[in-house]
Amino acid sequence: MRITRRDYLRASTAAGVALSLKASGMLDIEKAWAAGTKPVVLWLQAQGCTGCSVSFLNSIYYATVDTLLTQTLDVQYHTTVMAAAGQMAVNAANAARNRGNYILVVNGAIPTGAAGKYCMLWPGMTALDGVKAFAANASTIIAVGTCAAFGGIPGGAPNPTGAKSVGSILGTTSKLINVPGCPAHPDWLVGTVSYIMQNGKLPVLDSQRRPTTYYGSTVHSHCPRRESETGSYIGGSNCLYGMGCKGPRTHCDCPSRKWNSGTAGQAGVNWCVESCTPCHGCTEPTFPDGMDPFLTVNNTPRAYDD
Amino acid sequence: MSSVLGIAPVTRIEGHLDVFMTIDLVNGVQTVLDARTKGQMFRGFEQILQGHQPLDAVHLTQRICGVCPISHGMASSLALEQALGGVPPSNGRIVRNLILGANFIQSHILHFYHLAALDYIDTTGILDIAPWVPRYTTPDMVKGAAASTFVQHYVQALAMRRKAHQMGAIFGGKLPCSPVFIPGGASQPVTSAKVTSFRTILTELRSFINNIMLPDVQTVATLYPQYYNIGRGPGNLLAYGVFDLDNSGTNKLLKRGRLTKGALGVVDTTQIKEYVKYSWYTPASGNLNPANGVTQASADKVDAYSWIKAPRYQGAVHEVGPLARMWVNGDYRKGISVIDRLMARALEARKVADAMDGWLSQLSAGGSYTRTLVKASGMGVGLTEAPRGALGHWLQISNSVISRYQIVTPTEWNASPMDDNKIHGALEQALKGVKIADPAKPIEALRVIHSFDPCLSCAVHMATPDGDTRQFVVTP
Repeated sequence: MRITRRDYLRASTAAGVALSLKASGMLDIEKAWAAGTKPVVLWLQAQGCTGCSVSFLNSIYYATVDTLLTQTLDVQYHTTVMAAAGQMAVNAANAARNRGNYILVVNGAIPTGAAGKYCMLWPGMTALDGVKAFAANASTIIAVGTCAAFGGIPGGAPNPTGAKSVGSILGTTSKLINVPGCPAHPDWLVGTVSYIMQNGKLPVLDSQRRPTTYYGSTVHSHCPRRESETGSYIGGSNCLYGMGCKGPRTHCDCPSRKWNSGTAGQAGVNWCVESCTPCHGCTEPTFPDGMDPFLTVNNTPRAYDD
Repeated sequence: MSSVLGIAPVTRIEGHLDVFMTIDLVNGVQTVLDARTKGQMFRGFEQILQGHQPLDAVHLTQRICGVCPISHGMASSLALEQALGGVPPSNGRIVRNLILGANFIQSHILHFYHLAALDYIDTTGILDIAPWVPRYTTPDMVKGAAASTFVQHYVQALAMRRKAHQMGAIFGGKLPCSPVFIPGGASQPVTSAKVTSFRTILTELRSFINNIMLPDVQTVATLYPQYYNIGRGPGNLLAYGVFDLDNSGTNKLLKRGRLTKGALGVVDTTQIKEYVKYSWYTPASGNLNPANGVTQASADKVDAYSWIKAPRYQGAVHEVGPLARMWVNGDYRKGISVIDRLMARALEARKVADAMDGWLSQLSAGGSYTRTLVKASGMGVGLTEAPRGALGHWLQISNSVISRYQIVTPTEWNASPMDDNKIHGALEQALKGVKIADPAKPIEALRVIHSFDPCLSCAVHMATPDGDTRQFVVTP
């Protein structure tokens, strides 16, 4: 029976989606968590917007955040949710640091201008000093969000505060995992932490230290619109390359995982391209300046240059 | 003998905030005599935005804050529509309101349960693990069975705010940070399937707000009646208004207006000035309306103590937020205090959620966007509301790129330092006179601070183009 190339791609994409989600997704969370003690997590917020934390709160695919916070993880410091304030909170962070052996999660860029004073974690502790001090005793460091992973928007020209990535500050370190996205998808963070818990080691990383499970393919390579004609307007159902879509040069699994799922183990309700607007390339080191302009809406669709 | 009480960092807010209070014994009780609020993080969005293609602003400004990105996307879209002459179709206006409404609901649930409630509940014996320990535990906190119920609701509220984002993403593409906002409407077309799935979640959220959240807020009000008389602040309120019901701009679910010295009035944004005498900017950066805003750092400036400018309306301090909106709209005029802020926020959540059901019925299957071309030059202002208050974007396009972009955010209004006339900002005024039973556990101050729902990423967006900042050190 003859099928069109479009049908073939559609069918294999759907099967591939199910498979890839299964392989990367259902990492026998219950077993991992029952196996050992809860990993200690210290989450430092640097020059960020809290978007990665809000996104984390939306976790459901692997586990919901109530389970993560009450059963899975031992979150010793996270200024958005923790009960303690002021010196009591700082003491908790320092006590955990002294005990060592924790996962350090950092969101936000690290400003280096003015000796780091563009971002204070608490009096006397710049984000610059803090990320170094807390990284030293961490077993694993996760730079969540494009700001922490690559400098992101604070690092955009003219970079008024000398914002840098966590990796730039710490130098080459085998402890570091980058989980970019603006914000990062909760699954990319939760799945990575789950992998470490289950396997006792870092997952396979690409050249940008991103887990290949989530960032191994480009958006374009499994976009359901790749076989359609390039459209010339936002809001349509065609390929949005001409409108500025950065899918071909952006690595992540948004087309299959999608966003804001309502059910464990299931894909989300929508995603950028499905909502008929181009991908902005937010998981890449070149975001935002290398993805500029995000949209091309005046009459000339953009020519192919990927 | 006065001393300085600092809460640094303030937790259960968005962003980086330190609060320092001078306290002394007044009639045998430690009382706040003076308070200074200090934003602690800068990125320089205004400089970063310059030179970008104008439409990029809708997406870049959303990353000012991951709790209220949609409000920035809305303000940016409105400012660009004014500059470019764009008019969204009815679907576009409503779709944007629905996404914004979904995030309002998310934010208000998050605020009451996950940011504020721990000031009132003792979770000892219920949640005795990090991050709920360590904590302040005071004799006046809710304990026992009532606390258990609150904690159950706290956990349920985690699911509810997640669902509010799921609902918003049906039209918004993804949340936080929605890619569908664009001058001319929203990229996401409307389908009846989307309307149905949105409404299903909305119905569940409305039930939660009505049957769980509002009664819980009332419980706090009933158990802490003294907080109706704590944390008043300046008593002036300001709202730009939000949720346009048509394209005229003058018909909104929550009206534009203000309460100044007890009298209601209209809002004329030319009457807004930002003062910098106690902010780390040059004198030339001050006494300016945002349309002509200038931001030149002056990090060693004597007497300055904050990176937040001091916006004033006709020279007077104004508070912004749900209480301001509900008051101006005539929906809530009981009083101005810690509990009034919590109550108005919850009532506003209900009002917005209920209205959203009606808006869904006004949608028609089809597109939500009218293409709006980018022009080589133009100016525009976008006024809207974030969950925590009035938000304005002022933009200028020259040579086809952004040449100026000023953002005046709600927490800038609420957490500003003193102005040139040495008048304290709203939160600073609200803390004055607060009695602290035990300075080792300044829970009373936290209740006041949290009632404003501070968002510090928004409060400071200005750059310091040249170098040095200075750490403000409090000496007793």
